[in-house]
Formats: sequence, C-alpha cells, structure tokens
Amino acid sequence: MTRRKFAALLMVTATTIPAILRPLELRAAAPIPVTLYKNPSCTCCEGYAQYLDQNGFKVDVKPTNDLAEISRKAGIPEDLQGCHTSFIGDYVVDGHVPVRTIRKLLDEKPAIAGITLPGMPAGTPGMPGEKAGPLTIYAVSRDGTPPRVFDVD
Amino acid sequence: MPFTSVLALHRRGFLQSGAACALAGLSGPAFAAVGNVTPQSEGFAARLRPGSARVRMVGDEAPATAVWTYNGVEPGPALRLRQGAPFRAGVENGLTEATTVHWHGIRLPNAMDGVPGLTQPTILPGRGFEYAFTPPDAGTFWYHSHENSLVQMGRGLVGALIVEEREPPAVDRDLLWVIQDWRLARNAQIAPGFNNRMEAAMDGRVGNTVTINGRLPETLQVRAGERVRLRLLNAAIARIMALRFEGHRPVIVAVDGQPCDPHEPADGRILLGPAMRADVMLDMQGEPGHAYRVVDDFYGRLAYTLVSLSYNASAPLRPHPVDAPLRLPRNPVPRPDLASAVLHEVRLQGGMMGGMSGGGMGGGMMGMGSGAAWAINGQSMTGDGNPDMPPLFRIDRGRSCVLDFRNETAWWHPMHLHGHSFNVLSRDSVPVPHDEWGDTVLVRPRERVRVAFVADNPGDWMLHCHVMNHQVGGLMTTIRVT
Repeated sequence: MTRRKFAALLMVTATTIPAILRPLELRAAAPIPVTLYKNPSCTCCEGYAQYLDQNGFKVDVKPTNDLAEISRKAGIPEDLQGCHTSFIGDYVVDGHVPVRTIRKLLDEKPAIAGITLPGMPAGTPGMPGEKAGPLTIYAVSRDGTPPRVFDVD
Repeated sequence: MPFTSVLALHRRGFLQSGAACALAGLSGPAFAAVGNVTPQSEGFAARLRPGSARVRMVGDEAPATAVWTYNGVEPGPALRLRQGAPFRAGVENGLTEATTVHWHGIRLPNAMDGVPGLTQPTILPGRGFEYAFTPPDAGTFWYHSHENSLVQMGRGLVGALIVEEREPPAVDRDLLWVIQDWRLARNAQIAPGFNNRMEAAMDGRVGNTVTINGRLPETLQVRAGERVRLRLLNAAIARIMALRFEGHRPVIVAVDGQPCDPHEPADGRILLGPAMRADVMLDMQGEPGHAYRVVDDFYGRLAYTLVSLSYNASAPLRPHPVDAPLRLPRNPVPRPDLASAVLHEVRLQGGMMGGMSGGGMGGGMMGMGSGAAWAINGQSMTGDGNPDMPPLFRIDRGRSCVLDFRNETAWWHPMHLHGHSFNVLSRDSVPVPHDEWGDTVLVRPRERVRVAFVADNPGDWMLHCHVMNHQVGGLMTTIRVT
C-alpha cells in the first residue's frame, strides 16, 4: 500500500465534512445544525446531544481524543471547560448549556467566541440528578476579554 | 474546516515526508535504539542521561520535536540484560528538574525501585544516582521516570528493558515495538496542558500521534514464513490500545514479561493498557507481495491503522509454520497460596460520572480544589506521592495476598503494583481462562478483578493507576511488606 493510499484511508475514518458546511434548507423550522465533539467514552454527552435533537437542533456527534485542544483553541479557558464542545453557527457552546440560553445567544448575536457552562453539574440537560442551584453560563472571547456572565439558568 | 482531527492532519501533513523516509531505509519501525549496555567483570553496566533533545518523529521534512529523552534518543535506549546477571545503571540528571528512574516490572530491592521520597532521595539536576540490581525474571520490561511523571513520561522519558532468557525460544527475528502516544500541535511540538482538569477526571491525556520506536510508522517489512517474536510495550501515558493484526493469528506468550499459557487473544484483539507489555509470536502466513494492516480500534469510531506488515516478494522462508514450542520457560515467581492468603479490597473511586462527590460528579469535581479527582478506598495520594500517608495495608513478608480491585468508576484503570508480579485470578468472579501473570492489570469500568501474589519483597511499594493523569490525581497508594 502506498503512503498516499494509507493516509487517504485514514482520512475516511477520521474526518467527515462538518455539518455546518452542508447546504441547508433555509426554512424557519429547519433544525439548527450542531457539531458536538466529545470524549469517546463519556456517555453524558450523548444525553445532551439527544436533548438538543429533541429541541430543534440537529447534532452531529464526533468522538475525539483531542477535546482539550479543540476547546482551548475555541477560546474556552481551562477552568471554565465543560465536558464536551459544540459548534453552532459561528459560536462555540461548551458543556451542558440549556437550549434557552443557546437561543438567546443566536438571537442576540453578541461579538463573542461563545458560551460555556463549566464542569458537569447535576440536573443540567443530559445529566442525571437534581440541580443544586442556579447555573451560571459564561461568555468567552478570543481577544483577551475576561469571561463575563452571559446568562443564569 | 478548523476542527479536523489533528491525527488526520498529521498523517496528511507528514505524508510528503514518507518517500524521503523510505529512501533512507527507515520505513520499518523494527529497530529501537540499542542500549549502551557494556559487559563488566561482573554483569552489565549502562549510563543513562535524562535530558532534552530534538527528534524527528513524524517524518524528515516536519520540524524536529522537542522531547525529554535518555541519552538523546527517543525512546531511550533499549537495554538488554541477562537473567540472573548483575546490572548497574549510573543515572546523571541532565534535566533542569529533579528525576528518578523506575525499573517497571523488575522484582528488585526496594531501594532500587526509583520512587522519589519513598525509596530514594530524588535526583536533583546535575546530580546522579547509581542503580544496581540483578533481574530474577526474563522478559520484556521497561524503565521510566517516576518524578513529575505525567509530564516527564509524556515528554518522552521512557525506554525498554529486555531481560534475555538463558535459552531463548527459536524465532527468526526478535522485534521490539515501544509504542508511544503524543499530543502534537501542527508544528510537531508537544501541545501544552498536561494537567487539564477535565481530562484528568476522564481518560487522561490521550494524544493524536502514535509512534513506534520513536517514529510515525509506515510499514514493517516481513518475509512469508518467518516467525517473529514481537515485544509490544504500551509506553503511552493514557492511551489504551486494542491491536488487531489483519490476516494473522498472533499468539500471546507473555504478559508484562511473565510467561503465560500461549493463547490467541479474545476477539483477536491484543488489549494493552498503559505500561502493559505483551510478547506475541507471529507466524507470517500472509501472501508474498501483499500488505496487512495492524489496526488499533480501542476507541471504536476512532480506529486507525498503526502500521502495515508489508510482505516482500520472496518465496516463503519455509513451507509450513515452525512447529517449535511457543511456551516460554517459567520465571522463578512464587505461586501464591490462595488457601492462606489475606484478602484486601482496593476500591477505585472518582472521575467523571463516578459519583465520588455525589450528584454525578457534577460541580463536585470542579469544586474539589485539591487536585484530587480520584481515590483508593476514600484516600487520595496525589502528585509524586506522599510518603507520610499511611500505607493501604501492611502484610507479613512471605504471606500470600489477594488484591480485590473493585472499579467503582466509569473509566478504565491499568493498576500497577511495584516490586512484585501477580497472578491474575478472576474478572467479575469468573476465573481467567489462561494462567496469566503481570505487574499491571487493566480493570474495566465497574469491573471487579482479583489478583494474587506472595508478598516476598520487603519495603513500601507503590500501587497506582498507570494512566498518569489518574495517578497524580489520586489513584495511588502504597502497601507495606515487613
């Protein structure tokens, strides 16, 4: 096998075109495409993907061992990382962010890199258990602006 | 398309270098740097100098990668010792931070085990330490740093240590694959962030570039009919591997250096957690001129081709496979007496989805603050270890001991015991099908694994997970043999 074929083979298994690049039907009711990167062994992330699918989004789940790098490059500070990283439109959405907050982001279109709900708090979408209290979702940017509170759920 | 898999990018980006690599005769990953072991009047001696170096691991046209190595080669030189012959290693620390060397799997005196603060003072920059031991067992072992080990091993401070049998088995070739996993950025440099907290509570720092003997491998040239003894060493800090040899039937003859009943692995997959070794006998029964992939499919959809076995056009070396016996001579490891053994429960706890702090790990992990994401029986020994923490248990020297690992977490843990080799007894109460020994046992999520050993080696010994992020994050303890 040539080196080129060898690599091409790998490309097929490791890479597919992200959903955001696919042509879309521009209808109001069309589900909003999401690309969600997750640790291959984490199951809570699957629960979150189902939650989005049931709430007007269409999620392309991509297991990866490079989550920390993807999240870092997307502008999420390490101490605010969620357990998976989604891309919706031009924004990064990290962790178990509720749909209401995502819609607020897409409606308001702020000039930020995206939003994050740090950690894996119990009772959030996709997570078992009871919510212990209000959850703070942070806005992050790539220009050095410190994270600020974007929403409280 | 900014978020393409970095692994794919590497493979594609480094593709162009393939031709140059082949011309230089380096296409085969067969040869690791051979150790500078010198015969002495009594036994053997080696000098090891940990330090920084730049090595070309992803092709000759990509930038050299800055690593930490022993003696300037990556992985460190493969040391070949002889069973029962004394060995001395002078270590001179050329790093800018302290280090030690742990001789993984060797049953040696406690003072030679290389654990800073527990078995020896750490080796400061510019200082040295003389290790001396006589390997009682033949087999495939290795050496690595045990100080700041997540970073030091992750930057390359590992090497193979082979103890040759007095009468080695009949094979055509004896090959060594030191398999390492790196997280490289696109400039071929090691990406920062070893201590990422999210990863620490999941499956650790799994990388994007897997090398064999320090190179991104392409093909291994083989000849039909030959019998190869392949020594596999998973020297990664976190990546678990499940290797399938397409078109071949590898037979496992030793695990962690200790001979086992020769057997084909379940489902044809050789499962290797970090720190684990397998010696396999591989009869090259493929067609001349054909190539066969070696695939690692542990992470399911993230399966990739590690390397290909490329048959040359020569007629088979012999018409039929060798019928020489596959079984290796047993090492002098004492067999534990299960009737009189003392049983100790070792509960592995914590991590994401593990419920250590309740609420599905929730804000608990992020709020723990101490850096501990994991625990053994409720206690978290973190970092390089804490010699002041009481051992998990004390056991009389010579007594047989059963360790009852109960993995209460959602993650895999290769559990390593220092100073001893153990007999693997059962998984989820089902006896293992083959007589199997080891120093590192891979415990599946929620699984219960029992191993047994004779506590015949006095001292305080580390017992820890060999996913390095888990070890430094609390999945570590000691046992005391007196």
